[in-house]
Amino acid sequence: MDEILKAHERLEKKDNLAKSVEEKFKDKPLPFESNDALASHPSLINRAIAMHLLREGHFDVAATFIKEANNNPPTSPERTMKDAPDMAQDSQVQSNARKAWEMDFSPSADMSMALHSQFQEMYSILNELRVHHNLDPAIEWARQHSQVLDARGSNLEYDLCRLQYLTLFRTHGPLAAVTYARNTFGKFHRRYEGQTLRLSGALAFIPNLGTSPYAADLSGPAETNTYSIASAAFTAEFCALLQLSSASPLLTAVTAGCIALPTLLKLSHIQQTRRTSWTTESELPVEIPLPTGYSFHSIFVCPVSKEQSTDSNPPMMLPCGHVVARDSMNQLSRGTRFKCPYCPIESHPKDAKKIYF
Amino acid sequence: MGTFNPDTQLILDQPLLKVPNELSRKNFKTTQRNVEHTRDNILNGIKNAAAPFEDSVSALDTMIAKMEGLKRKLSECHAEEVALQKASRARIEHINSLHSMQAVTDVKYDEWSKVRLNRLLVDYLLRSGYGDSAQALAKAENIEDLVDIKAFMQCEKIRTNLEQAKPQEALAWCQDNKQALKKMNSDLEFELRLQQYIEMIRTRQPSKLLDAAMHARKYLATSNSESATRAAALLAFPPGTPIEPYRALYSHERWNHLSSLFLRTHHDLLSLPARPALHVALSAGLSALKTPSCHSSHLSSSSNANTSSGTSVCPICSTELNELARSVPYANHTKSIVENDPVVLPNGRIYGRTRLMEFQSKMPALPEGRVRDPSEPDVIFDIYQVKKVYIS
Repeated sequence: MDEILKAHERLEKKDNLAKSVEEKFKDKPLPFESNDALASHPSLINRAIAMHLLREGHFDVAATFIKEANNNPPTSPERTMKDAPDMAQDSQVQSNARKAWEMDFSPSADMSMALHSQFQEMYSILNELRVHHNLDPAIEWARQHSQVLDARGSNLEYDLCRLQYLTLFRTHGPLAAVTYARNTFGKFHRRYEGQTLRLSGALAFIPNLGTSPYAADLSGPAETNTYSIASAAFTAEFCALLQLSSASPLLTAVTAGCIALPTLLKLSHIQQTRRTSWTTESELPVEIPLPTGYSFHSIFVCPVSKEQSTDSNPPMMLPCGHVVARDSMNQLSRGTRFKCPYCPIESHPKDAKKIYF
Repeated sequence: MGTFNPDTQLILDQPLLKVPNELSRKNFKTTQRNVEHTRDNILNGIKNAAAPFEDSVSALDTMIAKMEGLKRKLSECHAEEVALQKASRARIEHINSLHSMQAVTDVKYDEWSKVRLNRLLVDYLLRSGYGDSAQALAKAENIEDLVDIKAFMQCEKIRTNLEQAKPQEALAWCQDNKQALKKMNSDLEFELRLQQYIEMIRTRQPSKLLDAAMHARKYLATSNSESATRAAALLAFPPGTPIEPYRALYSHERWNHLSSLFLRTHHDLLSLPARPALHVALSAGLSALKTPSCHSSHLSSSSNANTSSGTSVCPICSTELNELARSVPYANHTKSIVENDPVVLPNGRIYGRTRLMEFQSKMPALPEGRVRDPSEPDVIFDIYQVKKVYIS
């Protein structure tokens, strides 16, 4: 009977919690609009998740997921009659999406195997770098890919070797560093001549390094921070060579989405109460304030029409160096010479030049 | 960027607190039912015990057995309650940690957001029926207290059973949640009973038909008169009849309908949203990040995988999300966002002057006065062809 009493006591406490939970979420309906744009693309979502799991290093989870998803392919949700006209087009999109999944993740697909082994390589190198502070595998990787990396204008190999040089100097003394420099720095001579000279030159000043002009060159590698910076640089280059962004796009998108949600919720609330709708379907009706780290492309907004440039309405540079969208330019000029909206210079539309951001 | 308000971050996370709450309410009801049931039995037993010696001993024995049964059941409920409380505490702490952050640029927020993504992923996997993956991910990320694997697994089992025309577990579930379902005005149980009735009639065997009539009197006649009449009239139509609505009643599609009805009822009962929160967060995020350049046929000079200078590869342009983002609108901007001191190359590509020059210093040196296009390093121009461009 004691237990029953205890249960009752617990329940009372529980009731308080329940009440405060209800209170907290009162008049806050969940933002689940009826038009869920993603519901019709389950295969694409699954593909994104599989890639996310691989790139986060959850190889076992990814393997389980790929197996389950292959055994049990997603079915599209129930459709109502009014969707019927879109059906044909939609099922086309659907089958394309399924093809994309199958191409990448069906049991026989090379893609998942390739991604798997690539990310496995990345994680084993990163592990050496972060945990054991061992630069060799990373340098080896950078050396193998040096041609591609050079073409991208990447400093990765040089930065890693520089770090190695500094570490050797610190742990094994100047002699080891000199030997290393002699063997390695030669190939950097063309691109980084000034820097390698400074690094070698600094050794001459060891007795009074602090007061020498080379003080900055030989300090630094002690903190673990350097290794995490090197790891980040390595991850970025590794992913970029796979044509992928360095942070998981799924994480970035979901985080941005959660930051954007309050604004979007307010918008849908206003649209419902005023019974208005937004005319252009391809663009969101409100600007969403995201932190600066979340903008990845340059954006051109035409100063005349206030519209964003698109492929069909690209930015045009007038001979004076000012830029307007092509639609605006055509309206301003009507085919003849016109004055730039920003300066007194007149020009002809055919002299304007299409530019790319 | 306005001030950081933790509450706005919780829009998607209502089920996080509500689900353990509902589950614990249900657990309490089970406890209560057990106690009351045993109490009635014991009270009866006491009456029986006031009898001759032999009978009273056996009555006491049954009472002891009943009490022991109750004790076992209660300790089960207790264990369940402890697990639920632990989950609740973990969730409250998880949410509370948001309040120690100042802005969404906080490093701690990134960590929190990672946990949130994993929660949303587990939720999505569970809803899609990928239970093993969900469990594996929750275990790997150590977030088992923050996700409702058990509830979803049970739900999924009942749902697939319904699709395979097995209603027993769903009926047991209805029994467990009788009061709550009544409050919701749910017709799930009626629909399930109706389906059992239809299956009996489908056989067209006289004995089964008699059973069907009994079944209908017991379960169907009590409510929902129109459907009940229709069910009675069904006796007159053989399976395979072309006449509506009886053809629809015989249809095997009804099992799928029942399975989705069960899913809806189950999610309503636990205050779970009908759609995965991942869809909501992801589509909002895709829109917020998408720019016209992401699906442009031209190579973007400001962000692409070919150069390591500048910003990292855009998540919408990355293989994972590119196709998915096609169907959502792009973000609204009222001001141009361009690099400082933009210049234009003769091929029309725009770069910030600093970035263009930095790129040159990283590449094999060119003769004085020549520059490379960072997007295509083999394309080389004279520096006097690089013009300043004015973007307002």
